[in-house]
Amino acid sequence: MTKQNFCGRTRREFLWQSGCGFGGVALSSFLTADGFFSKANAGQTPSPSAFLPAAAAKAKSVIFLFMYGGPSQIDTFDYKPNMIGMDNKTITVKTFGRGGHRNEGRVVEPRWKFKQYGQCGKWVSDLFPNLGECVDDIAFIHSMTADSPIHGSAMLMMNSGKILSGSPSLGSWINYGLGTVNEDLPGYVVMLDPSGGPISGAKNWSSGYMPASLQGSILRAKGAPILDLQSPDGVSRELQRELIDSIAENNDAHLQARPNNSELSARIKSYELAFKMQQSAPELVDLSQESQETLDLYGVGNKQTDDFGRRCLMARRMVERGVRFIQLYSGGSHNDANWDAHGDLATNHNLHAGRTDKPIAALLKDLKRKGLLDSTLIVWGGEFGRQPVAEYQQSTGRDHNSYGFTMWMAGGGIKGGQSVGTTDELGAAAVERPLHVRNLHATVLTQMGMDPNKLSYFYSGLDQKLVGVEHVDAVKELI
Amino acid sequence: MLYPNLGRIVPQIQVSCRCELLRNDEVRDADSGKVRNECGDNDNPSHTLPPGSEVEYKTSSFPTLLLNPTQRTLRTTLVYIDQARRFVANRSVHLLFFGLSLWVLASEARLRGEEDKGTLKQLKQATNEVDFGRQIRPILAKHCYSCHGPQTQEAGLALHEFASATRALDSGSKAIVAGDPNHSEILRRIQSTDPSEKMPPEGEGLSATQVQLLKDWIQVGAEYKAHWAFEPLSNPEIPVATPSVTQQSREMANPIDAFIAKGWQRKNLVGSKRADPRALVRRLYFDCVGVPPDLETVEAFVKDPSESAYEELVDKLLADPRFGERMARGWLDLVRYAETNSYERDGPKPNAWYYRDYVIDSFNHDKSYRQFLTEQIAGDEIENPTIETLTATGFYRLGVWDDEPADPEQARFDGYDDLVTTIGQGVLGLTMNCARCHDHKIDPIPQKDYYQLVAFLRDVTPYGNRGDERSNSQIDVSPSPVRGKLEANKNRIKAIQKQLRKIENDGIAKMSDEDKTAAKSPDRNKVLEVKLKEYISETDWKEYEELKKESEKLNKESESISAEYRLGLAKCDPKPPATHVLMRGSPAAPGEEVQPGFPTIYREVAPKIPEVSADDTTANRRTVLAKWLTSDSNRLTGRVIVNRLWQHHFGRGIVRSSNNFGQMGDAPTHPELLDFLVQQLNENDWRLKPLHRNMLMSETYRQSSAAEQAVVDADPENDLFARFNARRLSAEEIRDSVLAVSGRIAYKMHGPSIYPDVSDDVKAGQSVPGKGWGKSTEAEQSRRSIYIHIKRSLVPPELSVFDFPETDVTCEARFLTTQAAQALNMLNGSFMQKHSTQLAAYASQNTSALKDKLNKAISGAFTRPATATELERGIARIQSYQTKFSVDESQAFRLYCLVLLNSNEFVYLD
Repeated sequence: MTKQNFCGRTRREFLWQSGCGFGGVALSSFLTADGFFSKANAGQTPSPSAFLPAAAAKAKSVIFLFMYGGPSQIDTFDYKPNMIGMDNKTITVKTFGRGGHRNEGRVVEPRWKFKQYGQCGKWVSDLFPNLGECVDDIAFIHSMTADSPIHGSAMLMMNSGKILSGSPSLGSWINYGLGTVNEDLPGYVVMLDPSGGPISGAKNWSSGYMPASLQGSILRAKGAPILDLQSPDGVSRELQRELIDSIAENNDAHLQARPNNSELSARIKSYELAFKMQQSAPELVDLSQESQETLDLYGVGNKQTDDFGRRCLMARRMVERGVRFIQLYSGGSHNDANWDAHGDLATNHNLHAGRTDKPIAALLKDLKRKGLLDSTLIVWGGEFGRQPVAEYQQSTGRDHNSYGFTMWMAGGGIKGGQSVGTTDELGAAAVERPLHVRNLHATVLTQMGMDPNKLSYFYSGLDQKLVGVEHVDAVKELI
Repeated sequence: MLYPNLGRIVPQIQVSCRCELLRNDEVRDADSGKVRNECGDNDNPSHTLPPGSEVEYKTSSFPTLLLNPTQRTLRTTLVYIDQARRFVANRSVHLLFFGLSLWVLASEARLRGEEDKGTLKQLKQATNEVDFGRQIRPILAKHCYSCHGPQTQEAGLALHEFASATRALDSGSKAIVAGDPNHSEILRRIQSTDPSEKMPPEGEGLSATQVQLLKDWIQVGAEYKAHWAFEPLSNPEIPVATPSVTQQSREMANPIDAFIAKGWQRKNLVGSKRADPRALVRRLYFDCVGVPPDLETVEAFVKDPSESAYEELVDKLLADPRFGERMARGWLDLVRYAETNSYERDGPKPNAWYYRDYVIDSFNHDKSYRQFLTEQIAGDEIENPTIETLTATGFYRLGVWDDEPADPEQARFDGYDDLVTTIGQGVLGLTMNCARCHDHKIDPIPQKDYYQLVAFLRDVTPYGNRGDERSNSQIDVSPSPVRGKLEANKNRIKAIQKQLRKIENDGIAKMSDEDKTAAKSPDRNKVLEVKLKEYISETDWKEYEELKKESEKLNKESESISAEYRLGLAKCDPKPPATHVLMRGSPAAPGEEVQPGFPTIYREVAPKIPEVSADDTTANRRTVLAKWLTSDSNRLTGRVIVNRLWQHHFGRGIVRSSNNFGQMGDAPTHPELLDFLVQQLNENDWRLKPLHRNMLMSETYRQSSAAEQAVVDADPENDLFARFNARRLSAEEIRDSVLAVSGRIAYKMHGPSIYPDVSDDVKAGQSVPGKGWGKSTEAEQSRRSIYIHIKRSLVPPELSVFDFPETDVTCEARFLTTQAAQALNMLNGSFMQKHSTQLAAYASQNTSALKDKLNKAISGAFTRPATATELERGIARIQSYQTKFSVDESQAFRLYCLVLLNSNEFVYLD
């Protein structure tokens, strides 16, 4: 007899329900004799109504390719042929960026040529020749909007749905809702750019008011993949095993007199998980099992694409191992180390697109040929887009723009080969079908089998939701 | 009331409001342009509730059981009922909802037994008692008030008050006849199938369960009982307990024990035996000072565990300066203490640590809670403010602050919201923050109450603005000559700036168009540097240069004068703008103007605010607020603080939701005890140490945590405190214990925060790795965790993996998770590695015999003598490391020290 509950989930799936992000063994003194639900809010589980029927859960994992700094929409995927020839013309256009509100500006026309790709004939700029080949799997959203054009709050918005600091991020919500399938690995993994983390650092993968076990774990491509994973020098795996056995030996003796305290058993178990993780995480980042063809596909070994290629390939390997939410940052640190092209637009975007175009295309192709694309939702975009006009007197740099920008999604049940929404003829603001970060989040949750309007967490007197108070629709055209 | 078929009870209760602030652009209706002030939760068409209604439930198509909406109880119950349902549907899966934690524990069979009991117990609770506030009022509010409530009384009927609900109506009948459901018209009408009679006239009507609830409620007297926490304080009588309720037949000298024993009597329980003396000393130490006792203290108490010895120990620990360090952390969690601002720059809050020291000292000096609160709320406004009271106003400056807000006006009110949330939940246990955009959906807190509280705080200026984070938030507390000099410099610099600006602007006016535009961009300074000279006269240029030099000189001089500052309210607005109710929380949609006022539930007259005179630097409102908050009769402040003390000592509050005493919070397990403790607070003039002492001296506190199975079965949640709640140590306690047992801890108090070494791997998450994280000496790093610098975007893993709270918001209690990251941290983290070496060295002092070293390490780590068995066990392991892995004895011993620090006994408290 298949063990199904009313949500159509299996026994194994039920085990995820304890909301374990990073090898979580027990939240609080869950069901223990001595402190059942004794700590504030610990051990909350989503209400059963937060889950859509099992068939609606198209995606099992999310890979969020975060183009930190904010790529320019009109130079990438939002084709504006009418702007050609307008370069340097001063025009009236409302903008709001780090330089404040302005009503006019000098046009910087798109700096790259566009070409049509695929069955759908999508126009894509020359920044993405490889990704262009994948457009039939991609759904573009050209009418994205966000609440803030300032990095700090905009990053928080894209990651946590709020411009105020202190709320859980998307990956925390997903792991809170679905738990983890692979307890040997974190359920929420963040991989950073070699140049550094994004602005606000750990706030971007924080679990906010949820337990810390739901926060993102940094996975490193080089060195020890996870913090404190590596045993110190002189401690072999066998010795590590014996140390853990020694601890367990003490713990067993201690437990004898305290049979009613299940937290103690949970903690014993956590050492076993840690031990397994010490094996599974290095195995995950070890690309030696990958064929040369695969490595070449991702651009591993090529100086320009090696870093992001490796990370994309690791993302695929994480998907195969059941990691729920994976976030890769393209760009880090400040200024031109990320997509924040205030100075020389061409140099900046050539650099970052050049590093990511081939790896991302490879990720889509590789997932597809392995039959994983249907169950893996890919999200691409930054915290905002960029303005059609120049920020300064000289130069081609563009200031931030949250009035309209482009993001795209692929896989995970998303209908590719289409574009939703438009911006005005300058790409300055969303015009048709304006969509908000909340709609994007709602779409992600929906594809993961959760009702964005019902997935809630009780905190501060309220049932808090990722998408906020108003009913928010997923982007229906996409799904 | 019975639920004969478990399988049919499928509650899908969802308290519908999950509001948080809506942003400006959403306030106006897109079509009409009209301001909307309802909650736009389209999911719940009935979300727009009439005034006076407080809650609504979303029901599914299943029969609905209305339950106690107390958050945790509700969820617990839901889980139980889900289980019950699945139990019926498929017995084999009914357990699995609890997931891993359960799975790792023990045999399913044993647990299944426990759960079934739990299910029945919960259902029984849910069915036996009808609670007006939680069960009845929500039904009336949702289905009846819109026509028969405070605003509209169709047919002369209003159901929101007993008098109006029970009086004879125009028709002659009575809607409610207390005690007589058969003659209560309301029951007939809600069950009627006749469309001309049926109530409510539209919609599906009430469910059978709801009808039954109303019937039961009327049967027992239709009492319109107010929510317990909103009722004035009671004067509970100390119960007379039968000695037999405790196993040792001790006298109930401590009233706390009498109240607790009364609970046992009702359920025929007996308390647990006294904790073993060693466990008790260890408990007392961690509880009061946050570090383990030394072995001598433990053994002395084992030899003489008399009443007087215990009492002496309690008094010693309450007088220990480490007491304040231990207690302070809980308060810092509550007031969202951190030393940076979050957001892009996560810049420092200079001098925040003085506030931390202020809290430590306040607890150590047993300052009255009244004074403690007053200083924090109005330390700048009270008569004769001192440096200490000014430091206390740091309270206002601890929250997050965006130096570059997308919408500055909204950000301003986000700042007030941070204060209202922290004061509301932290001091009053009220989720006032829920009333920012509309009336509170659960508790009787109208939106106006929220803004009346904002009005009290309206003279509080923002933390700063980009470019000036000092004027509003750094209080100059230097001696007056220093201050005079600094003030003079500041004024002169201001004047110079003005002159410079004039010269610059004259120059810009003469510039070419291109330069002019550039000079008006954010590049102004760069442009001026290069171009200004070209456009102004030589004399002007000379003057310009000289003024610049003077300004620089003055700046340097000011910097060199060691002025002393405190984080706090350096500048207030004595004549603040009017405060309005903001429609949907948006400053773009102001409504009715409000004055400072107290929450409606108190039914108190509006306060008189002393007139603001010309030389006042504040609006004189906050002292009024502080006085009201700290009056003996304030029913919530006292209850909330004594509950926090209880939570501290017993692992959970008498009210488990210690930040929420409202109707969504948990009901007190011992309401009389709670009010009794408030009496004690009043009798002690709000000093807290006497309360701590009473709790620590109680037999309830001294019980063992190893309970009889029967006790656990009868009371799995330990509602009745018939045993002590064992617990894992907090992040700070673990770190401090490691320092303590390895002989390294430095008990130096006060001062600027310390920076423990953080690995590059952790810093790599920052956009500028290492930024804002200093380097402390080894000695400084051996200080207690309370002194660690709290940077919002970089929390050292030793703290973060062990559930250090989110500092952006008030935290009522820490989570307690158990996760693999903790195991990795304790096995391989550099702090633990370093200190296992330390412990090994410490234990090896004055001895070279392995057995002696091991003995010392074990007894030091666990604060008890080592047993022969564990010495044998340890030596066998150490030898095994040596033979199998060819490490030498000292390395093997070091590894075993690491094992000891990783053992459960080290991180758990009985």
